[in-house]
Amino acid sequence: MAKVLIVDDAAFMRMMLKNILQKGGHEVVGEAENGLMAIEKYRNLIPDFVTMDITMPVMEGIEAVKQIKVSDPNANIIMCSAMGQQSLIVQAIQAGAKDFIVKPFHEERVLESVRKVLGA
Amino acid sequence: MLHSVMESVRQVIPIPAVVQSPNVLEDTVIQRDIEVFVGFTGHAYGRIVIQGECKTFSKLGEFMYGMPLEGDILHSFVGELANMVAGNTSILISNKGITIDITPPTVMVEKLHLHGYERGISVPVQFENVGEINIILLLQNQGDG
Repeated sequence: MAKVLIVDDAAFMRMMLKNILQKGGHEVVGEAENGLMAIEKYRNLIPDFVTMDITMPVMEGIEAVKQIKVSDPNANIIMCSAMGQQSLIVQAIQAGAKDFIVKPFHEERVLESVRKVLGA
Repeated sequence: MLHSVMESVRQVIPIPAVVQSPNVLEDTVIQRDIEVFVGFTGHAYGRIVIQGECKTFSKLGEFMYGMPLEGDILHSFVGELANMVAGNTSILISNKGITIDITPPTVMVEKLHLHGYERGISVPVQFENVGEINIILLLQNQGDG
């Protein structure tokens, strides 16, 4: 079981991800609605991995990834976005994300990504 | 652009559907239970609007995610649906060399008066055993509004 922080501005998407990750045996230790909240919660909760949306108010996801990676270069972050152009995927990976899932996603794809990122 | 939006709708909502003929949007007042707007900027500039009845969106949620939705979670789902349609549209048109960025969705539950767009196209989509939603593409000249 790994500890996860879910970051998405949509309550519906946080609920779906929570259901999928809990079914996969993971513990959801926190949720955040934007990048700024994600940085604060990451610092306090120190999760094993993070699912991170991109298009969010206040602070978007790629900027949040950059800032989290400054404080923890080993952070495991999976981007989870409806925006999946090649250029955006490259930006996210360069920022430090370890995988990229395009919405709408399937349960198996999410759990496969988690396994890959955690090296299980 | 419209072709990519409709292709995105088919990809995001995997339910058999009849796509009706596009209409030029003439009535600036739209009234359904819920409307959701996602703005886009870049090589194209405007908004994608999805509108429909609560019961239709609730059934869409049930078909796509296995549970009927209501209240705040329904509104959140409608926003995310538009986000996914717009996001996948951006992927599809990026393959044609057109780059757009999208805004977070805005969900409205009241009658709306639409202003400030150059062209509007409305496409009703009838989903089997679910109901109808309306996809609207509003295009603006860059810099307007």
